[in-house]
Amino acid sequence: MLAEKALELVRELERSIDGSLPPYNEDRVRQVLEEMRVLYEQNQKDVSATVAGESGLFSGVQVRHAALERNKRCLLAYLYNRIEQIKKMRWEFGSVLPTEVKYNLCEQEMQWFGRYNKLLANYMMSIGGSGGLDLTQDMKPPKTLYVEVRCLANHGEFETQDGNVIVLKKNSQHFLLRSECEHLIRQGILEHIVH
Amino acid sequence: MDPAEVEFLAEKELITVVPKFSFDRIYLIGGDIGPFSAGLPIDVPLWLAVNLKQRQKCRIRPPEWMDREKLQGKKQEEMDSKFFIEMPNQHYMEITQLLLKYAPDDIPHADEMRTLIKDLWDLRMAKLRSSIDTFVRSDATHAKLNHLTLMELNTVRLFLTNSLDQLYVLRSNLSGKVQATQE
Amino acid sequence: MTMKASENYFDIDDILASNERIPCRVELPIYRLGYLDSSHESEHLLPGTKIEFPYWLGRAVCSRRRHIVRVDLPKQYREGYREILSADATVVDLHKLGPYYYSFGTKLLHFEHVASADIAKSMVKTFQTRFRKIMDSSQNAYNEDTSKLTEKLDEAERSLFRSGQFGLHDFQRWETRKTEKLTTSNMVRNHQKRKRNVMDSNVD
Repeated sequence: MLAEKALELVRELERSIDGSLPPYNEDRVRQVLEEMRVLYEQNQKDVSATVAGESGLFSGVQVRHAALERNKRCLLAYLYNRIEQIKKMRWEFGSVLPTEVKYNLCEQEMQWFGRYNKLLANYMMSIGGSGGLDLTQDMKPPKTLYVEVRCLANHGEFETQDGNVIVLKKNSQHFLLRSECEHLIRQGILEHIVH
Repeated sequence: MDPAEVEFLAEKELITVVPKFSFDRIYLIGGDIGPFSAGLPIDVPLWLAVNLKQRQKCRIRPPEWMDREKLQGKKQEEMDSKFFIEMPNQHYMEITQLLLKYAPDDIPHADEMRTLIKDLWDLRMAKLRSSIDTFVRSDATHAKLNHLTLMELNTVRLFLTNSLDQLYVLRSNLSGKVQATQE
Repeated sequence: MTMKASENYFDIDDILASNERIPCRVELPIYRLGYLDSSHESEHLLPGTKIEFPYWLGRAVCSRRRHIVRVDLPKQYREGYREILSADATVVDLHKLGPYYYSFGTKLLHFEHVASADIAKSMVKTFQTRFRKIMDSSQNAYNEDTSKLTEKLDEAERSLFRSGQFGLHDFQRWETRKTEKLTTSNMVRNHQKRKRNVMDSNVD
């Protein structure tokens, strides 16, 4: 059936429900574009023939046109839903994506991520007074100024706002300003201990 | 909304505490609090009450409604009534939760309170589900539900709006008018 | 998926729902597209040919203005199935009849079939009858495998079930004071899990 390959792209996204992004399927996108090129050329030919006086070609033109529209919708939905996912990644992973995740983005998507990053950073700098406001923090109302944390991984040295340097060693415990370490908790480097 | 945000709103409710210290009036964005005199009861926002309690700087007076007889009465009333009855406080669930967690020693019969409030919650949620079902099955276009609290609404919000969206589409089909379509 | 009043062009579920098949009968010759019919090896699709088209294609070639094909009702929307649903909709495996039963059914109304009004009525009734069970199970199932509860639900009903579970889980997390704890973000956790799985399978 027409537009079947384009539908496969959409199905790829449907299957990746756990928030992972499948590798950008360059081959299949190219195949879809090729199908569209062939359909388009065939339609142009039939339209020229109709202008020249041949009749009865309209049905075919209509079918191919619908297939072109369908392919376009699937391709755009593929790109759009990926971008939505990539946008979400900025809020979940932070401004730097893990290498394995980066591999699955095409070049334009990497560029998009970079620009989104910059846009968000500029916006956060421009609000909330001189120091800016980090919107990715305190997603839920904070309860305390300081939190107790345990290191889940060796992360090396960490300089606190008051200038002290502490070593984040696996299984070591620390008492830190919530605003300083919330990102590290979100990224799975520290664990928040609640009593 | 996340329940944590609902709780945040509930933390603005005033609670009576008996401070174990004396201190001048403090000026906060949400309003002035104090002055504190050791031993003299004073109303403070719940968040501050919990904070002081955690540092053992006060005793908390349970709200008036947090009382065995009163809650048992409410429970009976809720069972007898077809409609939702008015709760003694918009944030009864959140306040109970926080006080029982951080000040159980200040609440007489804490365990019984926990059970009574939970019973009330369960009764009301069952009633809410029946109301939703009745509404969905009827051909009514609107319904009026009084006295539901924010936390109760919040728990069914997504489900309810999603249901009504779907029902709206299916009902629009009945009019015979063909809906706008992409293809 | 949600059946929104206005379809979303980019919506994955709507794209999948509009791919459901419709039995069609060719009325006007469609030249050089015979390959669409895999059961015959003719160059053209000629009048009288029976063929299944996805909804999106059927819609383009059958409308008030165009009658390139004539479309028929898919069997799961015909009277026989409507009768089964009106007898007791709660026991029907709608996913098997669907999986986009309501959404595809809504789309079919565009063809203004004589049975359209009855289909529309049947769908409202079916939804209303099955509603209570979906609501109750979504509000009661906590920390258990829900696949059994949702296997007979169509995709729209599954989305409803998920909304109910979402509310319940959020509330339970709050009730057990889990919301106080800052946690690793979901994407990071899933990423770490996948990485571990890859490493484990490399060791084997």
